[in-house]
Amino acid sequence: MTAVRMPRRVPMSRAARRETRHGFLFILPWIIGFIAFTALPMAATFVFTFLNISLAEAEPLRFVGLDNYRRLLGDDQAWAALGVTARFALMWLPVVVALPFLLALAVNSRGVRGGGLLRVLLFMPYVVPFVAGALIWQNMLAADGWINSALRLLGVAHPPSWLNDPAWVTPGLVLIGLWGLGAGLIVNLAGLRAIPAQLYDAALIDGAGWWRRLRHVTIPMMSPVLFYTIILAVVEVMQYFLVPLVLFDGNGDPGGATRFFNLYLYQTFFTFQEMSYGSTLAWLLFVITLAVTLLLFRLSRRWVHYTSER
Amino acid sequence: MNGTLPRLLAALTALVLLTACTTGAGGDAAPVQLRWYCCLGTGEQADQVKAQQAVVDEFNARHRDIKVKLDVVPYNSARDTLATQIASGKGPDIVGPVGVGGAAAFHGQWLDLGPFIKARGFDLRPYSEGAADLYRIGSVQEGLPFAIYPSTLYYKADLFEEAGLAEPPHKYGEKYRWPDGREAEWNYETLRELALRLTVDKNGKDATQQGFDAGNIVQYGFEPARDDLRYQGSAFGPASLDAGDGKTVKIPEPWADAWRFFYDGMWKDRFIMTGPVFETDRFNGDGAAFFSGHVAMSVNFLWSTYGVAGAGPDWDVAAMPSHDGRTTSPTSADTFRILAGSKHPDKAFEFLSHLVGPASNKLLEAYGAMPARTADQDAFFTKLAAQFTNTVDWQVAKDSVRFADTPHSEAHTPKYNQTLAVLGTYRSRWMTKGGLDMDAELTRLRAEIQKIWDR
Amino acid sequence: MTPHAARRVRVAILTIVMFGVVAVFLSPLAQMALTSLKSERQISQAYAPLLPSDPRAFTYQGRRYDVYLVPVGGEVRELALVEKGRTESGFVDPDRPQDGVITWQGSWRALRPSWTLAPQWSNYADVWNLIDFPRLLFNTAAIALIGTLGTVLSCTLVGYGFARFRFPGRGPLFTLLIATIFLPTTVTLIPTYTVFARIGWVGTWLPLLVPAFFANAYSVFLLRQYFMTIPREMDEAAAIDGAGPLRTLLSVIVPQAWPAISAVTLFNFVYTWNDYFTPLVYLSGRPDLQPLQVGLAAFNGLYTHNPAYIQAGTMMTIAVPVLLFACFQRAFMRGVMSTGVDK
Repeated sequence: MTAVRMPRRVPMSRAARRETRHGFLFILPWIIGFIAFTALPMAATFVFTFLNISLAEAEPLRFVGLDNYRRLLGDDQAWAALGVTARFALMWLPVVVALPFLLALAVNSRGVRGGGLLRVLLFMPYVVPFVAGALIWQNMLAADGWINSALRLLGVAHPPSWLNDPAWVTPGLVLIGLWGLGAGLIVNLAGLRAIPAQLYDAALIDGAGWWRRLRHVTIPMMSPVLFYTIILAVVEVMQYFLVPLVLFDGNGDPGGATRFFNLYLYQTFFTFQEMSYGSTLAWLLFVITLAVTLLLFRLSRRWVHYTSER
Repeated sequence: MNGTLPRLLAALTALVLLTACTTGAGGDAAPVQLRWYCCLGTGEQADQVKAQQAVVDEFNARHRDIKVKLDVVPYNSARDTLATQIASGKGPDIVGPVGVGGAAAFHGQWLDLGPFIKARGFDLRPYSEGAADLYRIGSVQEGLPFAIYPSTLYYKADLFEEAGLAEPPHKYGEKYRWPDGREAEWNYETLRELALRLTVDKNGKDATQQGFDAGNIVQYGFEPARDDLRYQGSAFGPASLDAGDGKTVKIPEPWADAWRFFYDGMWKDRFIMTGPVFETDRFNGDGAAFFSGHVAMSVNFLWSTYGVAGAGPDWDVAAMPSHDGRTTSPTSADTFRILAGSKHPDKAFEFLSHLVGPASNKLLEAYGAMPARTADQDAFFTKLAAQFTNTVDWQVAKDSVRFADTPHSEAHTPKYNQTLAVLGTYRSRWMTKGGLDMDAELTRLRAEIQKIWDR
Repeated sequence: MTPHAARRVRVAILTIVMFGVVAVFLSPLAQMALTSLKSERQISQAYAPLLPSDPRAFTYQGRRYDVYLVPVGGEVRELALVEKGRTESGFVDPDRPQDGVITWQGSWRALRPSWTLAPQWSNYADVWNLIDFPRLLFNTAAIALIGTLGTVLSCTLVGYGFARFRFPGRGPLFTLLIATIFLPTTVTLIPTYTVFARIGWVGTWLPLLVPAFFANAYSVFLLRQYFMTIPREMDEAAAIDGAGPLRTLLSVIVPQAWPAISAVTLFNFVYTWNDYFTPLVYLSGRPDLQPLQVGLAAFNGLYTHNPAYIQAGTMMTIAVPVLLFACFQRAFMRGVMSTGVDK
């Protein structure tokens, strides 16, 4: 992440020039794609925020200045939706970062047999198309679905009405989301496998127990991977909306409890057909996510450890 | 190696761009291209798609100058996809079948067909009286009449028989006869009493009996039109949220009554399933609770004939109950419309006239829709009846058209889609939360919509 | 117990616990499989058993009636319910229908039906035929393969560029790359769609495939993170041997980063395989070009909600990625072993 500062006036050495040329060549595909598929459309969307593009109640196109931003400030629904997203994030993030890591440790450990089979089985739900997955979980979490039947067997007389109770729907969605943890598992497993065995050998010679090996070898060595999973989880959670969209037809049911910010954004774009205001919401989401991530990057310097950073 | 790398990368980039450009380029030749966009309503089922494609093929074969292409987008994503297409200036020419609500959702996007109807001398006389009114939406004047779907009361005769109760009346104006010989007005109050007796727990006790187990209901007495609160309201009396000035929101009296009936039916009287129950596969098989066979009575449109066979062989239709002395059968009306952005409105109108004209019977049969053209209705019901093993009193459906709702429940209001979203949120809230104060709820609902209208 | 035996017991217990957790975790798949084998009536049947079952039926005087387990005079008999009533009902003995109707006092609803197993295997054939499954499968596979190939190629190059070369602006550019991850896809959709429509790409696979060849931020980030954990001494050794940057990438970095590249391949493949939104937007109205996910959604429509068909279709759809992963994960492991990291 360290930007390399080059004194402007000093000419680059030949080697440095060559390195620069190579670097740019390698990242060229991304630069082209970025300009074509991201920068230009984004700029267009940014311009939209100052216009009055709306399909329903269409008016002649005109420049409206900061009207859309002013409306955003007074839009209770937008802020409520941001609250829904934040509440989900608080519940979801710890689980989605910790659980795949712990599962990967278990699958990878010598104390468990059948690691290959476990890997396949744990990964399997990840390949279930989310539409089908969401519908199956709708049944699992139904008033008399398997989850509640199991809870009744365990002695819970009145198990929650998961997807139909504003108070329980967020944990319900976390359960659904957990089904896709196969992806995180693989990332973590790949990270664990990449830790040089000599580090563990050295730790064993020093007489380190399981906990100290985890604390002083595994976690520091895994820190880039954990950082990656945290960043992705944050991004995902900010943009989360497809499962509620499918389960509740995009209405944010029950009673608005699943009107996530990105769902509200989607509704504004497609259902309300307010392209300009939708663009404004989109930019707000982008700016917030960016701010959170920059903060995480800043904090990461304290704990993320790269072997070959220079 | 140093020279290879840049060349390789450049070649790769060029290759991708090249394939992209060559495959992408393609020009049209002489015939005018029209795009028919389906399914903001019905039309997505495999046999319906086949029927629609057949109509297109036949039309294309007979018209050298026009080439129609059918776009089938499943209902669930059809609105969003259409919005995207229109927003990027690539909207289709013809859209349909689309109902009053679907048309209102894209308010301002439709071509006014009035001038075309006049110029072409399109004859509106052969249609049911008032049918053409159903196709007028807000500022855009005319639509061509095509399909109508009146509402009736679907019921399961075997469940009435088991309870020793007479079936609901089939003729409008007839009274309901209780087993003790007492006669009662066929209204929602009578329906409520009936529904309580037809709500049964797993031990066979009904909701009027001592020891009725509300936690284990296996059969519900009544299922209102639950998907749309406006429809539910209109079954009690036609009205609009618009107080009349296009600015002020009012909750119409019959709608408020309907919503209280719905709420109490779920949480107090228990003869309507609550949200959590409604969401289970057991009670909501193929998209409507009545199709599960565990519901005794249900208000729904004629189009539910597409799946009603799932309810078993003993269903029939009865007259809609009245409320405050007034009977209403909310009636849905589908047609095809031309988008204002179409580059070939003339040709599109030609195709449209074909759809609602020569091709209409084929399409109506596929959609299970009652023809708006009076002369075609008998033939339609004969065909519809052949789909079922049981005898159904289709005369009820024909009689119901007289009680169609004006203003239409799905008619355009200011901030149409946003208003609908608020109604949807309250619908879900009422379905999932017991113990609410409905008066306070209605006040809040009004205020919330008013705030959106004021924006 | 010897330490060796104790360790074995511990391994056995841990393994059993892990597989137990996995069984619970996968139980929705079991429900999916069971749902895929049910008829609509079986799905809406009250208090039905887990397995797809129908009540046993008996035809009496030309009509079919369900058979229930009825307690009569101290024994339980299997009788067909022919007249339903609230307090008493009429039954017929399927073995002796000539005896006529037996009246039984009590509520028939409290009786349990006599179930017979009746899985609807035909659901699979129905789905196969209804949505032209082979063609959709081909489309899905083609889109997923080409898209994945493009992503892995471009992201490896870009990730390497960011991980190993110093050039002015690298930090800000990398930040920019990461920033694109946070961009809600809805933001770019309308302008992008407009452009694709203008150049005639809508209704073709190009909007799904071409962007893949220009790297995506997720994968670049992942690969760059891994590349940076590879000791630089290895590249330097290769450079001393006279290898240029491309050869270093191919001969040093790629073999070392095999687990990460495998993971990126796998994710992108599965992502494209299951992507619903993009093909829906760009291929609407082209059923001949659509992938499976869009085709399957047809069974979740307003008029065509069929849980059994969706799940049957899904069972067939996930078979490919699951098999692929089962094979793939061996290669994945082999890749790790051969990198020399473990030595």
